Amino acid sequence: MHIFANPARFLSIARPLTPWLGWIGGAMIAAALYAGLLITPPDYLQGESVRIMYIHVPAAWLGMGGWTGIAVASLMQLIWRHPLASVAARAIAVPGALFAAICLVTGSLWGRPTWGTYWEWDGRLTSMLVLFFLYIAYIALSSAGAERGSSDRISAIFGVVGAINIPIIHYSVEWWRTLHQGQSIGLGGSKIDSSLLWPLLVSTLGFSLLFGAIVLMRMRAMLAETKVEARLKRMTAE
Amino acid sequence: MNQWPFIIAAYAIGIVGTVAVTALSYLRMRRAERQASALTRRD
Amino acid sequence: MAVKAKNQRLILALLAVAALVGAALLAMSALKDQAAYFYTPGDAKKDHVDIGRAVRLGGMVQKGSIERQADGVTIHFVVTDGIETVPVRFTGIVPDLFKEDSGVVAEGSFQPDGSFVATNILAKHDERYMPPQVAGEMHKTDSLEPQGDQGKELK
Repeated sequence: MHIFANPARFLSIARPLTPWLGWIGGAMIAAALYAGLLITPPDYLQGESVRIMYIHVPAAWLGMGGWTGIAVASLMQLIWRHPLASVAARAIAVPGALFAAICLVTGSLWGRPTWGTYWEWDGRLTSMLVLFFLYIAYIALSSAGAERGSSDRISAIFGVVGAINIPIIHYSVEWWRTLHQGQSIGLGGSKIDSSLLWPLLVSTLGFSLLFGAIVLMRMRAMLAETKVEARLKRMTAE
Repeated sequence: MNQWPFIIAAYAIGIVGTVAVTALSYLRMRRAERQASALTRRD
Repeated sequence: MAVKAKNQRLILALLAVAALVGAALLAMSALKDQAAYFYTPGDAKKDHVDIGRAVRLGGMVQKGSIERQADGVTIHFVVTDGIETVPVRFTGIVPDLFKEDSGVVAEGSFQPDGSFVATNILAKHDERYMPPQVAGEMHKTDSLEPQGDQGKELK
C-alpha cells in the first residue's frame, strides 16, 4: 500500500489504468443492463419490477463500499500521513453520494409496485438515508477543509467515525424486523435463481470498475489542480 | 399495476446519474491536467 | 522507551475505533426492540399492545384465510407468525403482491376483541428471487382473487 503514497508513482499507474477500468466497466454495465432489461425472465412474485435490482444493488454496494474506502483512506491519512490518502477520500465522496442517492431513488421506485409504498421508516431504509446525509456532510466538511489546508484532519476523523453506519446498514435487516427483505446473497450462497443472478454479478462488477475509473479521474484532477495552484503561487511570488 | 414506468424511471435515473458523474469527472481531469502541463512547459 | 509517532498514532486510532465499535454495538442492542418496524402476532400478545394505538402488525398471510366480503373492497385475513394468529380486517386496495402464504405488514390498531383493523396494507417481499417456471416447480401461491373452492368453503 505504501508504494501508492508517492504521487509520481501513483500517477504512473493511474494514467494507463483509468481508461481500462472505465471502458471495461462501461461495457460490462451496458451488457448487464441490456440483459437485465430485456433478456432475463420476470420474478414469480414481483413480476417485471425485479429488473430494478440490476441498478439498485450495484448502487447500494458502491454507496456502502465508497464510505468504506473513505474510512480506510482516512485512517491511513491519520496514522501514516500519506499525502494521497486524503486526496483519495475526497475523490470518493461525490460519486459515493451519487450512488447512495441512486440506491435510495431506485429502491423507492421498486417499493411502490412491490410493497405498495414509496417510503417507510424501517431500519434499512432509514440507515441508508443516514449514509446519504453523512456523504453530504463529508463533502461540505472536506471542501471547507481543503481551503484551510491542515483542518482536513477533522474530515478524516468524520470519515472514520461515520463508517460505523456501514455495518448498521448491512445488519439492519437481521437485527430489526424491517419491511426490506433480508440478505439474498451471503457466504452460504444465493437465494436468487441463477437465471436472474448473472446480470446482477456482471452489473455489480462493471459498476465497481467504472467507480474505480471515476475515483482515479477525480484524484488525477485534484493532483493536477494542486500542482497548478502551487505553481501559480510561486509565479506571483517571484 | 403496470410496473414498466417504474422500471424505466429507475434505469433512466441510474444511467443518467452514472454518465453525468463520469463525464464531469473526466472533463475536470482533462482541464486540470492540460493546465498543469501547460504551466510545466512554460518553464 | 520512545514510541515512534507513527506507531503512537496507530495505537490511538485502533483504541478509538474499538471504543467506537463497542459504543455502537451497545446502542444497537439497546435499540433492538424500539427499532423493530412491526409487531409479530406473538409479540403483540406478549407485550399487551394498547387497544386503539396505531401500530404495525407483520407476519405471513395464513394459507386459505383471505375472505373477500360482499361489498368487494373489504377483506378479512389472518396474520400468523407460525404460532400465534391475529384476524385482520381491511377496507381498501391491497398491493399486487398481497397473497396468501406470503409476507404482509398491516398498519392499524387492535380492537377490544383481539382482532386488528388495518388502515393500510403493505406487502413484504422475501429474499428469494426466481422466474415463474422455477417457482411453479417449488410451490404454488394462491392469489387474492376469489378462486373457486377456497372462497366457497369459507362461506
